[in-house]
Amino acid sequence: MPVIEISGLTKDYGNHKGIFDLTFQVEEGEVFGYLGPNGAGKTTTIRHLMGFISPDKGYASILGMDCRMQSACIMAHLGYLPAEIAFFDGMTGIDFLNFMAEMRGDIRIALRDKLIDMFNLDVKQRIRKMSKGMKQKLAIVCAFMHDPKVLLLDEPTSGLDPLMQKTFAELILEEKKKGKTILMSSHSFEEIERTCDRAGIIRQGNLVAIENIKDLKEKRRKTYLITFDSAEAAEEFKKNNSFDEIETNGATAKVSVTGNVATLVRELGRYNVLELDTESSSLEDIFMQYYGNNNIDGRMQ
Amino acid sequence: MISKPLIKATFKQNLIVMLIIIAALMLYLPIIISMYNPDMQDSLNEVLEIFPQQFLAALGFTAVRHDLLGFVATYFYGFLILLLPMIFTITAANRTIASHVDKGSMAYLLSTPTKRSKIAITQAVYLIVSISLLTGLVTVVGICVSQMLYPGELDIMGFIMLNLGALLLHYSLAGLSFFASCTFNDTKNSLMLGAGLPVAFLLLQMLSDVGESTEFLKYFTIYTLFDPEKITSGEGYIISFLIMGVVAICLYSAGIMAFKKRDLPL
Repeated sequence: MPVIEISGLTKDYGNHKGIFDLTFQVEEGEVFGYLGPNGAGKTTTIRHLMGFISPDKGYASILGMDCRMQSACIMAHLGYLPAEIAFFDGMTGIDFLNFMAEMRGDIRIALRDKLIDMFNLDVKQRIRKMSKGMKQKLAIVCAFMHDPKVLLLDEPTSGLDPLMQKTFAELILEEKKKGKTILMSSHSFEEIERTCDRAGIIRQGNLVAIENIKDLKEKRRKTYLITFDSAEAAEEFKKNNSFDEIETNGATAKVSVTGNVATLVRELGRYNVLELDTESSSLEDIFMQYYGNNNIDGRMQ
Repeated sequence: MISKPLIKATFKQNLIVMLIIIAALMLYLPIIISMYNPDMQDSLNEVLEIFPQQFLAALGFTAVRHDLLGFVATYFYGFLILLLPMIFTITAANRTIASHVDKGSMAYLLSTPTKRSKIAITQAVYLIVSISLLTGLVTVVGICVSQMLYPGELDIMGFIMLNLGALLLHYSLAGLSFFASCTFNDTKNSLMLGAGLPVAFLLLQMLSDVGESTEFLKYFTIYTLFDPEKITSGEGYIISFLIMGVVAICLYSAGIMAFKKRDLPL
């Protein structure tokens, strides 16, 4: 039985805003990435899972319990990291953590302290005075410190510096080893790439793809910026090769490749390459691949 | 049915406002009591004659009874007890629910194994307990100071009834603010109803007292149900008390239901 189950979930806010007929499951022990641009419906979906709102149609359930009607029961086994951090004014970090532990009736000091150390969090500081990154770390500790079976994380690395992002990815992989079920939303493919098994892509309220990360990586089109030693070399490269797209601008060529780059590397070996850079594909590019054409092999679940 | 950590946190959150209002009440009450003097009463009346009737009437300064209870009923329970606790309840009620939803901190409360009804009930209980604390304090201090300055002069039973009426009045007013807090998603709207209506009620009450032509206004304000004159003279006030009690119960229940059922933009 899937741990997280969403079936026909629909919430129409008018003007094409909302979520429409979403259906997917997350199995136990799976890390599921939920990808989409701002306004796509990621947070709306999570709001349904948290029991904050009721759908127009369809249902959402976690651990076999209805997300709206049995929300309180679910919360005993769930850790939540909201996209917008809003704590209680006037509390210090440790006050807040103690308060949450008491509210949950679940106090695990050792685990909490381990997480505090892991993220270098200064819990004695007043929340009001904390930087965004600090608040984010506090929220992370809060979501994980009661060792919940299920985790709903909405844009979890927002505000974190690269080192902490790495630490967070390590935490996710640790939790995965313990068999936890995690749903993580993001608008950064790179973030999802690091830790997830499968990813669902949502756009304008519709689920446009669900794929294994491996398959997504293979299908992804990456763009490389290559600086040759002369404009002639660039032109020659362009003439002799046919990748997905080649544009030249003086001595620089912009090449788009889907999947395997071995061919590109081999070809480049023939020239004197001064610089090689990647242009991270924007989310729009990824979506155009999945939404605009039929390269999915009908694998929508 | 109550969340202990939540009620503690709410108590801490509103402690300063509560202390300020208590301080104000504790300042005025003994002073007013000490101003009572059977002889002084005449000189005081002379002073009051300077002000226009309407002005005095609006502030409830038209006493019928001329003993200590009547004195206090006029000068303290005519206006101050109507206003000061209301400032506290309006602020606190908004903070119990709407403010959390507005800021987003309600998401954290709901991310714990705590039902919505439990959260709302806890906050309602907080309001009721703190109003009772305020009023209880006023009652006790009032009796003590009266006994100290004018032993045996205060009609204690009457005084207690007076405070009971004030208690029920504020239960209802807070119920109104609480209902607004449970129904709206932000502080702005919560206060529009939760502060706007009680203040309007108070103004209507003051206007209705001004003269005969405005007397009809008393039907449009809940303050009418708290009538110090009727209470101190022993006239039928039980019905008003009951009505206030019922109104309070309805408002708190409606608030809790509203919060349970609706979508929250968290």
